[in-house]
Amino acid sequence: MAVVRRGRLARNRLYLAGLSPAAFLLALFFVGPALWALGSSFTNRALVGIDAANPRFVGLDNYVRLFGDPDFGRVILNSVIFVIGSAIIGQFVLGLGLALLLDYAQRRGFLASNFVYAAVLLAWVNPTIIAGFLWVAMFDFYNGSLNTGLHVLGVQPINWLGQGPMLAVIIANTWRGAAFTMLIFLGALRTIPTDIYEAARVDGANAYRRFWDHTLPILRPIAALTLLSITMATFGTFILIQTLTNGGPAFQTEVIALYAFHEAFQNHAVGYGSTISVVMLALNLGFAIVFLRWSRARA
Amino acid sequence: MDEVVRQIITRRRFLQLAAASAVVAACSPSAVSTGSSGPGGSTAAGGSAPAGGSGVPPSSGGGVTGTINVSYPDEAGLKPKYVEQAAAAVKAQFSGADVKIDLQKVGDDDFYTKLLLALDSGTGPDVFHVGGSSIGELADASYIEPLDDYVSQWADWSQYPDAVKSGVTYKGSVWAIPYGLDMRWLYYRKDDLQKAGLAADWQPANVQGILDAANAVKNAKESNVLPYALYAGPAGSSGTADHAFVPLLWAYGGELQDSSGKWIGDSPATKKVMAYYQKAYDGLSPKEILTSTKPWTAMREKLGNGQLALLFEGGWVYGGWASADKAATEKNVGYVLHPTETGGPSFTIGGPGTCWYISSRSANKQGAWEFIKAFNTADIVGKLNAEDPHPVARKDAADVAEFKASKYNVDATAALEKAKFVPPDPGYSKVIEAIQKATARVAAGELGPDDAAKRYTDDLTQALGADKVVSQ
Repeated sequence: MAVVRRGRLARNRLYLAGLSPAAFLLALFFVGPALWALGSSFTNRALVGIDAANPRFVGLDNYVRLFGDPDFGRVILNSVIFVIGSAIIGQFVLGLGLALLLDYAQRRGFLASNFVYAAVLLAWVNPTIIAGFLWVAMFDFYNGSLNTGLHVLGVQPINWLGQGPMLAVIIANTWRGAAFTMLIFLGALRTIPTDIYEAARVDGANAYRRFWDHTLPILRPIAALTLLSITMATFGTFILIQTLTNGGPAFQTEVIALYAFHEAFQNHAVGYGSTISVVMLALNLGFAIVFLRWSRARA
Repeated sequence: MDEVVRQIITRRRFLQLAAASAVVAACSPSAVSTGSSGPGGSTAAGGSAPAGGSGVPPSSGGGVTGTINVSYPDEAGLKPKYVEQAAAAVKAQFSGADVKIDLQKVGDDDFYTKLLLALDSGTGPDVFHVGGSSIGELADASYIEPLDDYVSQWADWSQYPDAVKSGVTYKGSVWAIPYGLDMRWLYYRKDDLQKAGLAADWQPANVQGILDAANAVKNAKESNVLPYALYAGPAGSSGTADHAFVPLLWAYGGELQDSSGKWIGDSPATKKVMAYYQKAYDGLSPKEILTSTKPWTAMREKLGNGQLALLFEGGWVYGGWASADKAATEKNVGYVLHPTETGGPSFTIGGPGTCWYISSRSANKQGAWEFIKAFNTADIVGKLNAEDPHPVARKDAADVAEFKASKYNVDATAALEKAKFVPPDPGYSKVIEAIQKATARVAAGELGPDDAAKRYTDDLTQALGADKVVSQ
C-alpha cells in the first residue's frame, strides 16, 4: 500500500512539475491581471485628474453605473450579433465547410487544394492589425479597392463602413478567423477511419447521411472546444474593429472589448473600464461552462 | 469654486490680451521691445550664446549633468529640426549633459495615451510636449511639475503677454510653456464657391449661411467636390468639439458651462446645434467622417486640392496647404471667422496650443527646464510658427523675419482678438466624450435633435455626476 502511495506521489509531483510552467504563465498573464482588474473595478482609478493621484474605493458604484448605462445594452447586443455572425455562422460554419471541401479534394489528390489551403492560412497568419488595414484598404470610401472597382464600372461609390458597418466587420473577422476552425476540423477529419465511410456507402448512405450520421458525431467534442475557443476570442476582439470602424458610426459596431478599451484608455476611466472587462470575463466564463457541459453531454 | 471661476475669467481674457500685444508686435515690430534675445540675438542652434538668450548665466541651474529625456509627437515633420537645435544648444552649454530625444511619429491622441500610461506607472520622459488644454487634468494627477520657480528666474518670461501666462496657469501656478497659440478658421474654396455662384470673397451672414453655401455647392453638382465637412463622433477626436460642436454652440448663443461652473447639457442652443448637425449630415457632410480613422487627414487634403468646399479647422492646417503650393493656396483658399446665428460678431476659438511640460517624477528637472528654455527662444518660436502657422506665444518672436513675412500669420494673430476660449476645466475631456456621442447619434440618423440633446445631458451626468450638470 505504502509503495502504491509513494508511486502516486512521485507521479503527481511529476505532473505538477510539468504543469508549473503553464500555471506560472497563466498566473502571471491571466489570473494576476484579472484580479487587478477586479480590484480596480471597485475604485474610481483614472489616468488623469485627481482620481489618478488619489484613487478611492467606490464599492459597487461602477457596476451600478454600468448596468444603468444606456449604451451598455447596445454594446452587449452588438457583441452578440458580432459573435453569432462572425464566430458561429462565419468562422465555424465556413471553417467546417472549407475543411470538408479540402479534405475531399486532398483525398482525391486535387493539387489546387494546396493553393486554397495556403490562401486560407495566409489570412490567419497575418497579424490582426494587418488584416484590419487590408480590409480598410478594401472598404475605404475614398481610396478603397471596392469603390475603385465600382468607379471603373461607372457605379457611384458606396459607403461600406457607414451603411453596413456590422456586416463589414463580420466579413473581415470571418475572413481572418475561418482558417483556425478549418485547421482544427481538417486535423479531426484525418483521424476518421475511411472504412466507416466505406461501410456506410455499402449500406447505401448518401453524402448527406454520411456527414450527418458519421462525420458530425465524431467531430462533436472537437466542435464544442473549437466553438468555445472562437466564441471567446471573438468576444474579446477589438483590434480589427478598432482599425475598421473604431466602434462607429454612433456605437453601431462598439463591442464590449472595444468599449472597455475606450473607457479605460481613451476616456482614461481605468476603474470603469476595468468594470466592463470584469463583466466581459464573467460572460466568457459563462460561455465556457455552457460549451463544456454541452460537449460532455453529447460526447 | 470661486477660484475656478476666477481662473475661467482670467483665461477668457487669455488671448484677447495676447492678441493685442502680438498684433502690435507683428504689425509694428520696431515699436516692441525685443528684450535681450531678439531675432538675431540668441542663436541656440550655433550654441554661441546660452540657451534662452538673456542674461541668465549658463550656470544658473547650478550646472546640468546627466541625461535629459525629451519625448514629443510629430507627424508633420516640422518640429524635429528645432528640437534637435535646442538639444544641441543644451549640450553645447552644459558639457556634462546629454539629451535623448524620443520622437514619436504618431498622432497627438495616441501619444497622450502612451504618455499617461508611462506617467501612471512612475516612468516617462523628463520633458514632454502635449496640448495646453491638458494642464488641469495633468496637474490634478500630480504628473507635472509647477514651473513658478523656474520662470521667476527666466528673464525671457517677460516676453510672454500676461494673458498667455494666465492661459498656462492653473490653481495659481504656471505648469507649461507654450510656443504657438491655437486659433481656428472657417476655410472655404474660392474656386468651388464661385462655380456654385457665390463670391470669391464669400462671407457668411450667419450660421445658416454656411449651410446655404454648402447647399449651393451641392446643387452645382461639381464632380468630386464635397460641400462641407463637419466633424462628428469619436472618430473626429477633439476636433468634434473644438472644430464643430463648440463653435456652433457659441454661435447659437449657448455656453459650455453656466456661471457656477456646471456643465450645460440640454438647452435651446444645444438643440439648435443638433438640428444643424442633422441638416449638415443630410447630404452635405460625408458620413465617412464617422468611421474613418483620423477623418481630418482626408478632409484637410480635400480642401487643399479643391475636393471639399467648406471646413472649420485649425489655423495651423493652412501651413500644410501653403507648403505644398503657396501660390495656389493663396489664390483658392479663403478663411473667415465663425459666424453667429444672428449675424453678430464673428469669432474664433483660441487655446494655448501644444506646450512643453516637466514631469514631476523627473530626476533631471533642471536639465528639462534648460531644454525648454533652449526650445523657446524667440528665434525658434518665430521660425517654427512661420512654418507651422500659429500666433507666436512670445512677443519678440513676431519680429522674426520668416514669421512676419506672411500675411496669413499676421491675419491669424489679429484674429485672436476675437477669440473665445474653452474653459480650462479638468472635466472637459469627459465633456468631449459626451459631445462625440451626441453628435454621432444625430449624424448617423439614430436620434433627432431634441432626443440627442436630452441624451447629451444623460451622458454628461453619467460621466461627471448629477451635481455638475444642468439643463436649461
